Amino acid sequence: MSLLDVRKVTMRFGGLTAVNQVDITVEPGQIFSVIGPNGAGKTTVFNTITGIYEPTEGTVLFQGRDLRRPFSRNVAAGIAVIAVLTGALAVIALHLESMWTATVASHYRFRQPFPWGKAWGDLFAFLGHNGASVALSFVLGAALGGAGAFVVWRRQRRTPNVIAEQGVCRTFQNIRLFQDMTVLENVLMGMDMRLGSRLWHMAFRLPRQGREEREAAGQAATLLEFVGLRDRAGMLAKNLPYGDQRRLEIARALATRPKLLLLDEPAAGMNPAESGDLMKLIRRIRETGVTVLLIEHHMKVVMGISDRIAVLDYGSKIAEGTPEEVRSNPRVIEAYLGKEEIS
Amino acid sequence: MSRFFKAERVLLALALAIPLFDLLLEAVGLQEWRVGNETCQRVLIFAIMGLGLNVVVGYTGLLHLGVAAFMAIGVYAYAILTCNIYPYQIGFWWALLLAPAICAGAGVFLGSPTLRLRGDYLAIVTLGFGEIVQDVLKNVPTITKGTQGINPLPPPSVPGYTFNLTVYEPWYYLYLAILVGLVVIVRNLENSRLGRQWMSIREDELAATCMGINATKTKLLAFAIAAAICGLAGVLWASKLSSTADPTSYDFNVSITVLCLLIVGGLGSLRGVMAGTGIVMGFDILLQKITEALQREGLTSSASVFLTPTNWKFLAFGLALVLMMRFRPEGIFPSNRMKGELRVERAEPGVTGVGVE
Repeated sequence: MSLLDVRKVTMRFGGLTAVNQVDITVEPGQIFSVIGPNGAGKTTVFNTITGIYEPTEGTVLFQGRDLRRPFSRNVAAGIAVIAVLTGALAVIALHLESMWTATVASHYRFRQPFPWGKAWGDLFAFLGHNGASVALSFVLGAALGGAGAFVVWRRQRRTPNVIAEQGVCRTFQNIRLFQDMTVLENVLMGMDMRLGSRLWHMAFRLPRQGREEREAAGQAATLLEFVGLRDRAGMLAKNLPYGDQRRLEIARALATRPKLLLLDEPAAGMNPAESGDLMKLIRRIRETGVTVLLIEHHMKVVMGISDRIAVLDYGSKIAEGTPEEVRSNPRVIEAYLGKEEIS
Repeated sequence: MSRFFKAERVLLALALAIPLFDLLLEAVGLQEWRVGNETCQRVLIFAIMGLGLNVVVGYTGLLHLGVAAFMAIGVYAYAILTCNIYPYQIGFWWALLLAPAICAGAGVFLGSPTLRLRGDYLAIVTLGFGEIVQDVLKNVPTITKGTQGINPLPPPSVPGYTFNLTVYEPWYYLYLAILVGLVVIVRNLENSRLGRQWMSIREDELAATCMGINATKTKLLAFAIAAAICGLAGVLWASKLSSTADPTSYDFNVSITVLCLLIVGGLGSLRGVMAGTGIVMGFDILLQKITEALQREGLTSSASVFLTPTNWKFLAFGLALVLMMRFRPEGIFPSNRMKGELRVERAEPGVTGVGVE
């Protein structure tokens, strides 16, 4: 079974078709590259995979499953609870004063015990007496609340965090680190969804939280060691040199323990020595069992490490194959590498 | 780190010393100049409000202009739960727990449909919520007594002693203790996973969600915590006043004042909140004392607008904000992070050393 299966994905923005019927199949353990001229739709493909965009047509399967959150019994129950609550709220809001008068105000005498039983009885009597308007406001409130909850759930079925939870994580073309957090904290953010301390643990600094934080910091240090930023853990991310920022972004993405790592032009702006290091790093990442999907412009990097390459041009896939096949494909040469320069 | 504690200690020492300072004033015959009562009613309450708002505006970076609404909900929840014209009468301490819970619920209620909005739009929604709450409270007189307000509210009591309005010191120290407790809790949250989540959303929401952070949930939590803290401030306010006052006293002015203290003190920094409240509200109290003194001497009357120093408040306030934005936009005691965000910085190489622990 392939790890990632992008099937006939089309992404339109108004009249512009950014991605047109693209198929990409990534097998586990591969380093798969997507190349293409500027504006070919590579990053848009990434955005549809990671849930930033919802594809206009087509599906993205990960490990044979749709990345949408399924409609489960829990979801239905949650929506039902919200509907009942909003319904009750609507009843209260529309009958506030008369309900108060009927139940509380008419029974309470100053400094005398309050007859709770009678008040509850009168509440139900009140509801029964005004049956039609109570029922109508309840139904309207519940419909509004239920519909709202359903819409919100639907829109959150395929948000980036849902996809990250299932083991797909990415870096960004224009680095998006948390600039004013330290290097270590950036990595801890990647590990965040595996941390389980609750609000009260954190508010009262219970031992469990401290233990968890220490363990997480230890793991983060290991990851920083892996990408070679160990000695910079305490620096603010924005003070790192450019190449290190790229590597930190990779470390942060790895901290989510992805099965599939999407790297969006990781070598952009790097000098040859740095991109050489990066190639080694990507290979080492693959050795740890992470599949890599890569967008890259540096031909040396792409041809050097990719198992398979897909070529996009004007939103469509024009070729796919091993580096050798792609290199010798006349359409690729024409569209991307240029007609004269056959190397 | 050590600087943080130093500033905090100085502020705490100042706060602890104010009742003693009052005693001194009384001893030398200047009892009109005592400030403890006003400090208790205004500085401490507003510091708690600031603490709450700081969670939303300072840490999470959402502009919230409706904290007064949550204060009002706290005030009325406390009043309805404790006043003897209602059947509940659960007493101060239970209300101190329950009213913030109700406010947190209201925060979730407001936040869940609106937190997908960004920036200015969210600010407008919260602003609207503030106005709605005021209007509702004013217009259900069978329950809230409308503009009369609900009174008298019972004071807190501990076994063997009931707080009373003529002696402010017990209130003062109770409120100060609550404030310190809240500061500790909020600081713990700031330095925890949740604080990191809040900051990541402030810095880059898209990147945060791509790391698996549920942004809506995180923002909702910030909103609910802020609402609960402001509700708690409302409880304390109402119990010291022994009345809910008119619903219109929880208007936009309150919300914007709290926001201003945060900006003066330094967004996202706890000692900034404390110092900002001390300065802004302290100045307010000072003006009030000067006005009272002038009136005692017959030098001014409430009719003369210009000769009444309390009317200069907003003038001075506005001027201070303008100067602040020009010369020190990050506030008096900025947090290290916000300083970076608000100033265009020269790239400074080397270790800045903001550790996690």
